Amino acid sequence: MVNNIEKRLAEEKQRFDQITAPENFEARMREALKPAKQKHKPRKLIWNLATAAVLLVFFAGYQYDAFAFYGKKLLGFDDLVTGTLNDLNEKGMGQLVGKKTALSNGTFLIIDGVITDENQLVLYYTLKNSDGIDGEFSPRRLTGFFTNSIAGGGTERVNDLQTEIKGVMSFDSVSPFSKKLTLHYSEQLPNNEIKEGEVTFPYHPDEALQTGIKQSIRKTAEVDKGKITFRSITATPTVTVVEGTINADNFDRVSSALDGIELLADGKPVQMLGGGHSSSLKGRTFDLRFDALPSNLESLEIAVKQFAGYKTLDEKINIATVGAEPIPLGDTKELIIKDVTATSEGVKVTIATDVDVMLEGVSISNTNGVKTPLKTTVNQTKMNKNGTFYKQRTLLFDTSVLPEFITIKGMHYMKTYNQTIPIPL
Amino acid sequence: MNVVRLVKKAKKGNKNALLKLILVEKDAYYRLAFTYMGNSHDAMDAVEDMIVKLYENIHQLKNEKAFYSWSKTILVNRCKTILRKSSDFQYMEQEQINEQDHHNPHIRTDHQLNITEMLSKVNEHQKEALQLKYFHDFDYQTIAEMTNVSIGTVKSRIFQGLKKLRDYYGGEHGE
Repeated sequence: MVNNIEKRLAEEKQRFDQITAPENFEARMREALKPAKQKHKPRKLIWNLATAAVLLVFFAGYQYDAFAFYGKKLLGFDDLVTGTLNDLNEKGMGQLVGKKTALSNGTFLIIDGVITDENQLVLYYTLKNSDGIDGEFSPRRLTGFFTNSIAGGGTERVNDLQTEIKGVMSFDSVSPFSKKLTLHYSEQLPNNEIKEGEVTFPYHPDEALQTGIKQSIRKTAEVDKGKITFRSITATPTVTVVEGTINADNFDRVSSALDGIELLADGKPVQMLGGGHSSSLKGRTFDLRFDALPSNLESLEIAVKQFAGYKTLDEKINIATVGAEPIPLGDTKELIIKDVTATSEGVKVTIATDVDVMLEGVSISNTNGVKTPLKTTVNQTKMNKNGTFYKQRTLLFDTSVLPEFITIKGMHYMKTYNQTIPIPL
Repeated sequence: MNVVRLVKKAKKGNKNALLKLILVEKDAYYRLAFTYMGNSHDAMDAVEDMIVKLYENIHQLKNEKAFYSWSKTILVNRCKTILRKSSDFQYMEQEQINEQDHHNPHIRTDHQLNITEMLSKVNEHQKEALQLKYFHDFDYQTIAEMTNVSIGTVKSRIFQGLKKLRDYYGGEHGE
């Protein structure tokens, strides 16, 4: 009896062993690795020594008033943080904390400081272990009086000897009523065990940076399948957040519809730092995060350059006459039929379009006018041809008869809208 | 092939060295991802994410000899993250709904249906442990590392899983 089950599992393994990686495995791995960067950048030791020397001076001198201003700058983060945050740190806008606590395996966590405003809290921290740092440290959450802030994005840098990690992590903003904050973190130990911990440090809400612009927008941009409503903008020294709601059925039919929205300060686009969306019973809300706004601003606009659009096509394409010629979809897009075959699984039609195009209402028909709707799509891959990416996939139809026509009702795609919404200052 | 030497090269930023390490076991990586993701498309996405993560974090691997169990653990974690996320978001394309890999003979055999049905009788943890042991040939220690539990737990999951399967199916065969 024992053997019977194990025998069947072993049989199954034999079958399983016949699965092989797809032919494009190597190409895809190579492609994926191309933009990859190692988190640990080899740096010359001399710089570490220099940093250490500066830190020594800094600690030695901290007692004196004359150093108070410089003391506010969080040292050692220059090559980790760039742009706005670094500028603010240079100007001494951060709050120095300097709280040290022991983690596992002889590693120490030092909370160097925070920079806070109405949009976020940025935590600066250091991990140290003279024997080398093992495992992974993740800041998760900050709690305090009226505060429960979740960690967002962050970055870390390890030194050459792997004895020190400098890190920065962004959290949701904290309450101005919190005088103390507790950082909840988890450590993944070398044996993969996860250990949770917390450390509390003092916080001065009065040292939070002042919000520059905060106002409601309440303006709507019409798109093909609905509308985008911009509700508010909050510009603080560290980041500018635009919030709103989306009511568009085909929002998720293109891969990142929100990327086509820009914030223009004096006519120039402000760098987008990220964004997100979530849906609830009340609808879909989004927030877009841009870099801090320049000072002495004269005009501010939101530009919906591109967003998910829909085009009715009602195309009936004669497969035989078209061949490998590109077929125009609307005014801007193209479709190429690469292959049509009848297999034991059904008729397979391999097509390629621009990356952002998703067809809707696809069916095939033969001379007798018998229509077969699309069953499923398989083997979708992104390809690069002469620098432009396109999306290839195989449409599968539940019929054995080779089709004469392919009918396409419409398509979802990234449509250019170029609508601008002025924000009064 | 000298794994340790290649890992050391990869640590210095050599992408080809890492690629070489992965390609030698490409079928194993693919099968592992396939077990979790259930289709070729998502399995390849997970392996792609894995190789990037490996490259970014290879300096954290202290014991070079452990490259394969380390990287496969990362792959398993990546698969689980993707699965968790996809249950949060609905991003399925209309064209893609019910996607299956029709190139895979494995999925459509009746035998496979039996195995799937069979494994549906045990809980997720037991199923995972059984698959890792019997389909991927990992030892208890590696499964423990991959699934983030103790060896004792792994042994117990496999024992209980087999027992449950026997309770369901053993009797029918009357051995």
